[in-house]
Amino acid sequence: MKNKLTRFLYRHRGIEGIVYVLPFAALWGVFLAWPVGYGIYLSLFEWNPIKGSRFVGLENYVALFRDVRFLNALANTFKFAALAVPLILGLGLLFALMLWSWGRTRRGVGFVQAVLFFPYLLTVSTVAITWKWMFDPDFGLVTHAFKALKVPAPVFLTEPAWALPAIAFATAWWLSGYRMVVFQAGLGDIPQELFEVASIDGARFHHKFLHIILPLLKPALLFSLVLTIISAFRTFGQVLMMTEGGPGRSTEVLALYLYWTAFEYFKIGKAAASGVVLLVLTLILTLIGVKLLGLKSELQ
Amino acid sequence: MRKIVALAMGAVLVWGMVALGEVLKIEFNTLFHEADAKAMEEIINLFNASHTNIQVELIQGRWAQYYAELRLSVIAGTPPQLGICHTYRLVEMVDYLTPLDASPVGNLIQMGGINPADFPKATWDAGELAGHHYLIPLDTHGWGLWYNKDIFAAAGLDPDKPPQTMGEFMAACEAIKAAGYYAFHPAEDALPRKLRRAWEIFFYQLGGGALFDEGYTKATFNNPEGLVALQFLVDIFNNFGWNIVGGNGYNQFTAGKLGMLFAGNWFYPTARDSGVNWGYAPVPNFFGTPYTWGASHQLCIPLQPAGTSPAVYQATMEVARWVVEHSYIWTMSGGHIAAYKQAAEDPTLLASDYWTRSGNLLNEMAQKGLVKFPINHPRGSELEKAIETYIELAVNGKITPAAALAQAEAECNKILQGR
Repeated sequence: MKNKLTRFLYRHRGIEGIVYVLPFAALWGVFLAWPVGYGIYLSLFEWNPIKGSRFVGLENYVALFRDVRFLNALANTFKFAALAVPLILGLGLLFALMLWSWGRTRRGVGFVQAVLFFPYLLTVSTVAITWKWMFDPDFGLVTHAFKALKVPAPVFLTEPAWALPAIAFATAWWLSGYRMVVFQAGLGDIPQELFEVASIDGARFHHKFLHIILPLLKPALLFSLVLTIISAFRTFGQVLMMTEGGPGRSTEVLALYLYWTAFEYFKIGKAAASGVVLLVLTLILTLIGVKLLGLKSELQ
Repeated sequence: MRKIVALAMGAVLVWGMVALGEVLKIEFNTLFHEADAKAMEEIINLFNASHTNIQVELIQGRWAQYYAELRLSVIAGTPPQLGICHTYRLVEMVDYLTPLDASPVGNLIQMGGINPADFPKATWDAGELAGHHYLIPLDTHGWGLWYNKDIFAAAGLDPDKPPQTMGEFMAACEAIKAAGYYAFHPAEDALPRKLRRAWEIFFYQLGGGALFDEGYTKATFNNPEGLVALQFLVDIFNNFGWNIVGGNGYNQFTAGKLGMLFAGNWFYPTARDSGVNWGYAPVPNFFGTPYTWGASHQLCIPLQPAGTSPAVYQATMEVARWVVEHSYIWTMSGGHIAAYKQAAEDPTLLASDYWTRSGNLLNEMAQKGLVKFPINHPRGSELEKAIETYIELAVNGKITPAAALAQAEAECNKILQGR
């Protein structure tokens, strides 16, 4: 019997693979493929299940790209990503290098690591409320710090030029701890001998950083970059809670535009269309990131 | 007679369920949070404690996405049996609500023993649309002037005589400013929608007319009164030195740093617990008629799936009637002025701290017709958002008041033209 089953599985090796994949594929299909597919389907309708939905083809997409507010949200999303992605990755890398250079033996490293990682454990609402308080023009710590330095504090969240960078900074505080851990793992994998040889050859830290650390950290960098781009383009909670997209519409990002359109104005078709645009954008940018870093082999 | 028959039928239905030992569960979704959520919970707990045949499951929703959730639940065929609807949202929500006078099981208003005469006519009529009645009034709520008596004393002002005219108000603000405090915040926590409400107060006081023409074909707020109103709002933050851009009035007031604040009646529990020696007054008469901003919460029955049993409708109406009949609790603990006349005359309420210190004054404003309700249009949320976006920019000093009104007008007209 056992032999028969073994022979059957051997002859139908493809089926065996499918059986292994099936549980994940089922979950992926139900919770990802189907909702995404349905979202794309909805984007082709003027959706009103009570009075009857109407197929409108690509009208929702045309309306989107004629909508000044959507274009503004699109531009803000790019601006936010341009601010947040380098900040998150930069801080994460800086923290990781700092801890790595201290070594594992120095006292307090574990504590510092925990402190730096801790914000990542918080929910977006906690982060947003905390930073809204920090930036408060009357009671905020940041404001007080400026006052202590006798520098006039900008009103961060009500000044269009400052609001988006302020949210990006809060986001970096929140997310950089996780990137730090990823980079630490990458740094730990770099053979120590390379640094020793480089030191014998007279290499300084910046040489080691550019010619050893960065090239060998590429997989970790790629992973973090992809993750950070995706989260930057989907940023929503902190913007909603810290500024509601204001002042004016200077922080209204695509996900927030989608939220207002769907859940405040109840234009589900148009909101679905903007969701599809967001999906395509994220996909394109992720692929560009992979291409630029030349990491096809790592992905394979 | 019909009412008696309907009540008798209802009683028979409910009695039948009790005889069968069946407990009907009614889901009641609201958008309340903090003080008013607690007040509603108190009312529903009383109901559940005194009823064995009907039990209410109260779900207090998030304010921001309440209406979307209500619509989606109707679409999904799993709506709550009872909900809340602002009167100004009726036009947007009407397709998702049960017409109470023409439900699939008959006239629910009669079945539930609700008497329209028990409510102020205007509040009751606000629940009517296209010949059908959809809502049962719960309250009127609105903004008033909260002031810090200790700051008044420190500024040499009479703590028992809050300003009620423009002259008095300007003088009070200057005195408070000179004493080293923020003089005035006109918009609670300064969120864009709050700034718009403050502007609306000044606009209506100036006699600026309606925000839109009668048929909602175009915006009409970009007029001299609209401009004066916005300039005044901008000046409060930028020229008079009464407050700072981005300042949160709630926090400033509870920290004892702010002399006067425009805020809703829901601020009462916060003010009471803050330790501030506060007073309350109607919104002053700045420009001619002392209008304030306000709205009305009402009860609604979301559209139920076909085949919903008459017993469920009957039980829902019983809960609705209980809620309005006990709305003195709503006023006392939640701060909103009960629409049900008998509740507003309840001796416990009239003797309560809330009523004697602030509620009676808001009630007075409402009775005098000084509470201006928001616009009622299928795209009302979009129109309001368009206005407040530019008002906020003007307040922040990024565009002039004239440019703000012109841009808001253009965007509103686009929305009204369906673009």
